[in-house]
Amino acid sequence: MIRFEKVSKAYPGQARPALNSLSIDIQKGEFVFLVGQSGSGKSTALKLMLREQRPTTGRVYVAGKEINRLAGWKVPRLRRQVGTIFQDFRLLTNKTVAENVAFAMQVTGHSNREIRQRVPETLELVGLDGKGDRMPDELSGGEQQRVAVARAFINRPMILIADEPTGNLDPGNTVGIMRLLDRINRSGTTIVMATHDVQMVDQMRKRVIELEHGHLVRDQVQGGYGAQF
Amino acid sequence: MQLRYVFTELRQGLRRNLSMHVAVALTLLVSLTLAGVGLLLREQAQLTEEVWGDELQITFYMCNGANDRNPQCAGAVDDSQKKVITDALEDNRYVDKIEEESQEQAYERLQALDVEGVSGPDPVVRAEDMWESYWVTMTDPHHSAEIIEAVAGLDGIDHVGDVHEVTGPILAAVDGLQSAALVGAIVLIVAALLLVANTIRLAAFARRREIGIMRLVGASTLYIALPFLLESLVVALVGIGLSGVALAAVMHFGVEQRLSSTAVTQWVGWEEFFSSFAIVALLGILLTLVPTLLLTRKYIKV
Ligand SMILES: Nc1ncnc2c1ncn2[C@@H]1O[C@H](COP(=O)(O)OP(=O)(O)O)[C@@H](O)[C@H]1O
Ligand SMILES: [Mg+2]
Repeated sequence: MIRFEKVSKAYPGQARPALNSLSIDIQKGEFVFLVGQSGSGKSTALKLMLREQRPTTGRVYVAGKEINRLAGWKVPRLRRQVGTIFQDFRLLTNKTVAENVAFAMQVTGHSNREIRQRVPETLELVGLDGKGDRMPDELSGGEQQRVAVARAFINRPMILIADEPTGNLDPGNTVGIMRLLDRINRSGTTIVMATHDVQMVDQMRKRVIELEHGHLVRDQVQGGYGAQF
Repeated sequence: MQLRYVFTELRQGLRRNLSMHVAVALTLLVSLTLAGVGLLLREQAQLTEEVWGDELQITFYMCNGANDRNPQCAGAVDDSQKKVITDALEDNRYVDKIEEESQEQAYERLQALDVEGVSGPDPVVRAEDMWESYWVTMTDPHHSAEIIEAVAGLDGIDHVGDVHEVTGPILAAVDGLQSAALVGAIVLIVAALLLVANTIRLAAFARRREIGIMRLVGASTLYIALPFLLESLVVALVGIGLSGVALAAVMHFGVEQRLSSTAVTQWVGWEEFFSSFAIVALLGILLTLVPTLLLTRKYIKV
């Protein structure tokens, strides 16, 4: 589903490359943690999957296509197949919860009928039943992240990319979001999640890919954060 | 495509940046009006040259035996005199082209100017009062003196038409005004471009969250750019409409009500107004949409 072949990324003006000859292969339906210290290249790797950034050398394949050879006008189609959530939620504060979720469908050309049906369904799925008319700032952090998950998932992407989605949440809300992501993963969606929450990674017993200064230092099926071979 | 979103954004965008949009529309109003005046002046220069001949031409009027100015004239010019005159002209190396105008043609041209007493049942001036003439196009306007010297004294020549005496001041004024209008237009066009660019930058900044989310969820570039393009288009149309009104006012109050009463030349009319305005409208659209397209590509590129 996602494959990196000797991918390096050097940002202009940076002495060290953010990623250094990284090769990984993620299968359809997998749940993968991307771990490593701050600055190890996790976010860069995720941006390359979305073509937010382009590799300096090497190839990135998503859903069988080498995405850097994709024509510019096809990039939106790629992004419709890849949902994204972030540490800072990125909600529109002037729109209600339901409007925030509907936004992702509106701007990708879905009909009002589809939107009216799918938005309540998805809000129920993420556990925000009956909160569609609230404004984002009336919700807890955990609830706001659920809105973001609903927005990322409403177009039923094949892949969900999460960049430290629990970084701003307390332990209780973290568990809630992880349960939600696990449930989405069980429905067949591939999930790649960057984090440095040791405890959580240990508990989930999923595949762990660890980066250090842009190098792959560990790729372990059902690993824990600190576990060694 | 969900156009409701686009139009909601358009309305919000117009309201959010209202003062910038008013500035752009007013700048467009002035720059496009100046450009339109420049175009009308160009048309005016052409019309003046059509009526009076351009600066490369001199006109030799021949005796008509009715109201000659030259006491040497003994009745209307005859064919042998005309032969001598055309031979002299054809021999002159500064002569490029010779066109003959009959008394009737001269009369028609006079009627086109709509001077009082020329038309109607009992005109003061008739075709017989006009002079037959040779319109000589020179290879070089600086050598008019040589040609005049060679021909003016021949029998049958009544007088030499010095086009510059009549059209000179008109063309000089038109030229000066035209340059002033075009320089003003260019300066303001630069101002308009900068204002448009700044408006887009502000609008993109104000909407950066939405734009970021739209890109992430895979909205097409056109869809993201559409509110910007429509916003610019609305402002452009307002500016163009205002400049149309301003130009029409120039035509009505300036040309129709003041200049038309002085019949020294044929003045620009509504036909010239519409052709100039068409160019101005196109210019206004280009001035706003091209920078908008370029900048939205820059600010929202995927
Ligand atoms: N847009 C950028 N421009 C320049 N350098 C960047 C940019 N983004 C990240 N970097 C650098 O690349 C390295 C990896 O960053 P990042 O991928 O954000 O790591 P992580 O997400 O693991 O913290 C860091 O050294 C960071 O400073
Ligand atoms: Mg990061």
